[in-house]
Amino acid sequence: MIAELLPAIARGVGLTLYVTGASLVIGGIIGLSLVGAARSPFAFVRGIATLYINVVRVIPPITWLFLIYFGLPQFALRLSTIQAAIIGFSVIASAFMAEIYRSGLLSIPDGPREAAHALGLSAATTVRHIITPQAFRVALPAIATYGIGLLKDSALASTIGVREITYYAQQSAKQTHEGLLSFIVAGALYIVISLVVALVSRQVDLGLRKKIGVA
Amino acid sequence: MSFSFGTKTPSIALSGEVVVSGLGKSYGAARVLSDVNLVMSEGEVVSVIGPSGAGKSTFLRCLNYLETPTEGIIEIGGAKVVAGGKLPDKASLDHLRRVTGMVFQSFNLFPHLTVMENITLPQRKVLGASKEQAQETANRLLKHVGLPDKANAYPARLSGGQQQRIAIARALALSPKVMLFDEPTSALDPEIGLEVLAVMRDLADEGMTMLVVTHEMHFARDVSDRIMVMGNGGVLEIGPSKQVMSDPQNDRTRQFLKAVLDR
Repeated sequence: MIAELLPAIARGVGLTLYVTGASLVIGGIIGLSLVGAARSPFAFVRGIATLYINVVRVIPPITWLFLIYFGLPQFALRLSTIQAAIIGFSVIASAFMAEIYRSGLLSIPDGPREAAHALGLSAATTVRHIITPQAFRVALPAIATYGIGLLKDSALASTIGVREITYYAQQSAKQTHEGLLSFIVAGALYIVISLVVALVSRQVDLGLRKKIGVA
Repeated sequence: MSFSFGTKTPSIALSGEVVVSGLGKSYGAARVLSDVNLVMSEGEVVSVIGPSGAGKSTFLRCLNYLETPTEGIIEIGGAKVVAGGKLPDKASLDHLRRVTGMVFQSFNLFPHLTVMENITLPQRKVLGASKEQAQETANRLLKHVGLPDKANAYPARLSGGQQQRIAIARALALSPKVMLFDEPTSALDPEIGLEVLAVMRDLADEGMTMLVVTHEMHFARDVSDRIMVMGNGGVLEIGPSKQVMSDPQNDRTRQFLKAVLDR
């Protein structure tokens, strides 16, 4: 039975990875500008960014997906299920990633930044070449953890019809009446993907730790 | 037109020369630095000594605006800034930082970059040097500070003394006119500190203009031309090194020197 269920459900792996990966990357980039905005010298910009980060994080992911997939068409914005899922998860990821970056920034010492000033590096160069790489290095384990969380959340995309792992598990359960087994297979797939992500991030983290030490 | 009072206050800063007049800094009502005056000629080495909390580091850090002074005038190597409690315009700030190089107590190398990258990045970004040019300068300076084989190491793999010598090379790579040292050996054990002091001694011999905040009394006496003693946010006295060490004029200086020399 598993021999039939596994390939049927594994068809969803591609979209699970696609939705998770795309959202993490897009959210990660938006999160960068958010954390910049949250540290802006202008109180108005800071306020907007802080409000966004806090509001987005307290709304459940499934609510976001429904808002975007069923709500936006009322404003004549019709999205495919995949687009809606990626937009929804990107919005959520951006707020969480902004918080992760912020903690990374807070944890790096002042010294290298002062040295950059003293050397006459511009503010943009200092942020890009000195601060961000250090903050990223500190934030990496948290980013990996969040990525695994997002991988699990991506199962919610099945509720709006994205054909990822959980979607196919539901299909198989209906067609074969092997409900338990279908979802065990789906669970196993999530475990395998998570393990790979965790393993890779651990290796990268150890490599960096060996090379540049703990920041 | 120029007028002068002896050699103390020339009205125009010459190249490589430092003229600080009436420098002060307050946080609200708290005054941490007041009326610091200092004129240095090109190639001169001045050590700044004094008890903790005297304002030595604050003074040094005001010179390249890591701290923002609230009053006074700073002229270094052709850059001139009139203090007003806020950062000067970008051109003046860039100029001031361009002519000064700073070495910190805690080295402050960029931990995510190799030694080579630490030295080449500022050259490329600030001077617009090519990669080859920057590497050539870096290799020359690494040889100079006695670490020619550490180009590809990351700072975490180096001893404190080695990190500090790299930090000196990194600052020198931008050809500053004046080097500012903020307790460069205080975080090092005495033996390791010697290798850093040796590099600084070489630098002084080569004619670099240097302002050194330090607790190394031998260095202050033997290497620097003059010693400036600070206390309580101001200058207690300033004079030729040997004279300040052997015959201090100020009571507080005498008390401080007795404490550091008798231990």
